[in-house]
Amino acid sequence: MYRVDIAADLNDEDETGYVWAFLDEARDPAQITPGALVVAGDEDAAAVCQVIDLAPAGGGTIVHLRLLPGLVDDYRALVDRALAS
Amino acid sequence: MPGERIEQRPRLRAEHLPAETTLVVRGGRDTADKLRSHAQRTARAWSLDGQPLLGISVFAVLGMPLDELLSRRFATFRTIYLPTVARLRRHGFELLPTGQRPHFTVRLQRADDEELSQLLTALGSQQPNRQYARSGIWREEG
Repeated sequence: MYRVDIAADLNDEDETGYVWAFLDEARDPAQITPGALVVAGDEDAAAVCQVIDLAPAGGGTIVHLRLLPGLVDDYRALVDRALAS
Repeated sequence: MPGERIEQRPRLRAEHLPAETTLVVRGGRDTADKLRSHAQRTARAWSLDGQPLLGISVFAVLGMPLDELLSRRFATFRTIYLPTVARLRRHGFELLPTGQRPHFTVRLQRADDEELSQLLTALGSQQPNRQYARSGIWREEG
């Protein structure tokens, strides 16, 4: 069960080839800025993504996300290794 | 500044629709509520011929083997749906060539309970994704 930074269907892509989501479906839209690393998806399927850009559409703002490799759990393991004394 | 819906008609790829036997991949787990939410999100962002476009995303197995597509695009999904194009059409769903090949949008008309139930039936049963967790990140053994 994941708690995501921004709700998205990770199947979604547009002509950019990136996953897209709506900024107003982010828990804290202020954190969604180009280059930021976020967890996107839903409670069942989530992924670490990098914010590419934000663009107006559909009465809101669309966020383009680059899917990064690996599972969310892999990143926790990576950070744990890096911070181990 | 908020923008208008993105009209998809001029953006649809000019290509023949996949053969009936072509497999289509969607990462799951889906429920009627999730599908409704995804379809409504698409309709908020996209239009077709000036009308909100209700739809969900799938990828056709075109131009690369299934395992390569799963590995490249679906490694974060424990389970997937794997219907054929024919199965989706038999249940009344149209495929639109949106985004970059091999992405398609399965078009819905109403996204009401009846149609969403039909869509779940058309997607078929969930299957384990054999490329799940084939990570690009090094894992420490043990």
